[in-house]
Amino acid sequence: MTEQIDKALAREYEAGFVSDVESETFLPGLDEDVIRRISGMKNEPEWMLEWRLSAFREWLEMEEPDWAHVDYPKIDFQSISYYSAPKSMKDKPKSLDEVDPELLRTYEKLGIPLIEQQMLAGIAVDAVFDSVSVVTTFRDKLEEAGVIFCPISEAIQKYPELVKKYLGSVVPKKDNYFAALNCAVFTDGSFVYIPKGTRCPMELSTYFRINEQNTGQFERTLIIADEGSHVSYLEGCTAPQRDENQLHAAVVELVALDDAEIKYSTVQNWYPGDEDGKGGIFNFVTKRGICHTNAKISWTQVETGSSVTWKYPSCILKGDNSVGEFYSVALTRGRQQADTGTKMIHLGKNTRSTIISKGISAGKSNNSYRGLVRMNPGAKGARNFTQCDSLLIGDQCGAHTFPYIESRNPSAIIEHEATTSKVSDEQMFLCRQRGLDPEKAVSMIVNGFCKEVFKELPMEFAVEAGKLLEISLEGSVG
Amino acid sequence: MSEWLESAITRAQNLDDWLAPKRAHALELLAQTKWPTRKTEAWRYTPLRPVERTQAGVVSHDVDLSPEAITGLTAIELVFVNGKFDAAQSTKELPAGLLVSLGRNLDATQQAAALNAFSAIKPERHLFGLVNDALAEDVMIVSVAQGVEIAQPIRISSLLSQGAESHTRVQVSLADGARLTVIEDIQSQGDTLSTAFVEYDIAANAYLEHYRFALQTGSNVAIGGSHFNLSDKSKMHSSIVGFGSDLSRLDTDIIHGGEFADAKLNAIYLLDGKELFDLHATVEHAMPNGTTEENVRCIVADRARAVFNGRIHIHRDAQKTLAALNNRNLLMSDKAEINTKPELEIYADDVRCAHGATVAEIDKQALYYLQTRGVSRSKAQVMLNFGFINELIDLMPNAALAEWVRPIIRERFAQMEVK
Repeated sequence: MTEQIDKALAREYEAGFVSDVESETFLPGLDEDVIRRISGMKNEPEWMLEWRLSAFREWLEMEEPDWAHVDYPKIDFQSISYYSAPKSMKDKPKSLDEVDPELLRTYEKLGIPLIEQQMLAGIAVDAVFDSVSVVTTFRDKLEEAGVIFCPISEAIQKYPELVKKYLGSVVPKKDNYFAALNCAVFTDGSFVYIPKGTRCPMELSTYFRINEQNTGQFERTLIIADEGSHVSYLEGCTAPQRDENQLHAAVVELVALDDAEIKYSTVQNWYPGDEDGKGGIFNFVTKRGICHTNAKISWTQVETGSSVTWKYPSCILKGDNSVGEFYSVALTRGRQQADTGTKMIHLGKNTRSTIISKGISAGKSNNSYRGLVRMNPGAKGARNFTQCDSLLIGDQCGAHTFPYIESRNPSAIIEHEATTSKVSDEQMFLCRQRGLDPEKAVSMIVNGFCKEVFKELPMEFAVEAGKLLEISLEGSVG
Repeated sequence: MSEWLESAITRAQNLDDWLAPKRAHALELLAQTKWPTRKTEAWRYTPLRPVERTQAGVVSHDVDLSPEAITGLTAIELVFVNGKFDAAQSTKELPAGLLVSLGRNLDATQQAAALNAFSAIKPERHLFGLVNDALAEDVMIVSVAQGVEIAQPIRISSLLSQGAESHTRVQVSLADGARLTVIEDIQSQGDTLSTAFVEYDIAANAYLEHYRFALQTGSNVAIGGSHFNLSDKSKMHSSIVGFGSDLSRLDTDIIHGGEFADAKLNAIYLLDGKELFDLHATVEHAMPNGTTEENVRCIVADRARAVFNGRIHIHRDAQKTLAALNNRNLLMSDKAEINTKPELEIYADDVRCAHGATVAEIDKQALYYLQTRGVSRSKAQVMLNFGFINELIDLMPNAALAEWVRPIIRERFAQMEVK
């Protein structure tokens, strides 16, 4: 068994490789000039540049938050390069055949061959290689339905009214330190608009890759579901192995207008750092959605990567009868640190929210759930149910729960439950008795522990998530 | 820093007694402490305006105040009036094995030990605990000798008259196998400000039964702390009943400093008007095989606000810990507010920990139904919902105390209105 464990422990990050695509990269550093250059590269209109600059000025005044249960070296924002684009972008590929084959190979190594995926899964992929969207597929089919799915840089050019109206409307410029930084320097991301009464004909998906050394990645995603529409959006990511910490500060804004529904699923597998916690991604993400009357936003996330995670996908339940959901599996191992959870802000009458959070800690990692449920005075008849379960694997890790519950309406009902336990000896004994090796047994137990969340994921994502968990747990069992 | 704190520090600088080194240390820490604002996590929901605006100050202790008698209970009385120990009203005949003495009257050896133990259990993070370190003058030392069981409870009454500011401090220690009951009781009249801190050192196999009543309401600021250190196989059972005031804040810290220790804490609070009650309960499982069970129930009416922070921290070595925290809240009015945060911080894997928190309202339909059947509103309210807190009163080990406090709580609850 010791041999097995040693072997498993020696396993390296499978997605860790650097592909050789020539890149055009800004020198490290951040000032107004860099922001002007980013804006210039994108041919942005004046209002967009002004918006970025005002965010940057706000950011300069702000302080880095220190309340999260994470510990990391101070980030030197001047040592980060704020723009990098694959060179082949200059020729603007019109179809997959024109895409740099090196890029395609990168995706292939990650197990996401674009062509195959198009055929088999019927997914439109807006793949982001570093900072620029390289290829967007299935555009025609979506256009037929009236759905806009394009890089946000393109949306700024083509649909300025929509962008102007909604960008920053859910996550204001000075919402928090990392969101303000994102507003100033974001390079690209996805833009989705679903017209009134439309059910998006396919699941939309974006794969993110961080590839260039020293490149901060600042994605900006804006999804607008107009009245009575429905969309399911998938986000998945993985990054190559390197020694220096990389900063990832994305902002995702969801707007669900009356009767609309947005389902947002994430599988996050950024490089978690080596066994000593060296390298790895700092994932400081702001995700928030606003629900108007009868609307619904559902966040599902499977978090296995990054050395430091700071992420709270939230719902503002503004409209009456609106629904917010948060399903999360967060797995940490090695020296990973995750501080993640959600905020459910109940403003409207009869609003409902559900929070299911499953944290798994292994190795020397620390995994925290941090959540807020707030019932404002107007939230008559609102309901919340929260369940946070933690599973500890090994005696060197930590599992923490910090739920904030604030109620200012007597008719609102809030329930919160949390448990912490380990994989019990009895469970292990039972599985081993039936011929399962320890790793398979733990993997099976953990999968069962996470079942409530996995069933919320779209089919192909659920399979990937299960596999990811299994791979991530290898080497943690002892 | 607030004006009040500045004046408190100035006053403390003039004190020179056996506690001088501890006072100097506290003042040093206070000098580095920022005055809490909304952004200070420990005071996030509890604004300190009532402290900033307090009219209370040091007043004469020569006032006519005496503790209310509790039917069926004969206690060893320790009475403080406006912060000063009142020997005349306190019990003089003490059972064998019990030492009760002001710190300044101890002999040199005892005093050295008491100095050593001072603030050894109370964590330094409590701002007002530091103020108490610096300002409490009549520090009372209570200790029970090895294997001795003190049958009569000790009641520590802190009485305050209009406009008084008081800082009381009691250090309780139980030697191996000792048994003791302590009742902390605070009674104040009108606009007062008090800090009342008690440290309990519970040695191996000893048992402490603890009660804390803060049944005064109105425009006073009452800040306190009860801090417990448990040793191998020791036990404690604590019952807390609080009505709110302008600002009532209690910090409890239970430290499992030995193996196989057992702690139970039940807290009830009922708030009405514009009252605020803030309970910060921390449990530190530093050693293996400990058990903790906490039940906190709260009813909030009118414009009152309840704050609860329940933290359970399981250290790396505290394997085989069982810890459970249950927090249930009832809101009675649209303007009432509940902020609760049950925290778990766990670093050991072979433990079982759970917490639950609920917030709900009184069933208005059931209330209406009973009223249509001729039952008065307040009676119906008690019939339907008193069980919510009565369960915890039933858990009080001392029957006389339970029977004394039950009608007081019931009366208070009957007067709280559903709005």
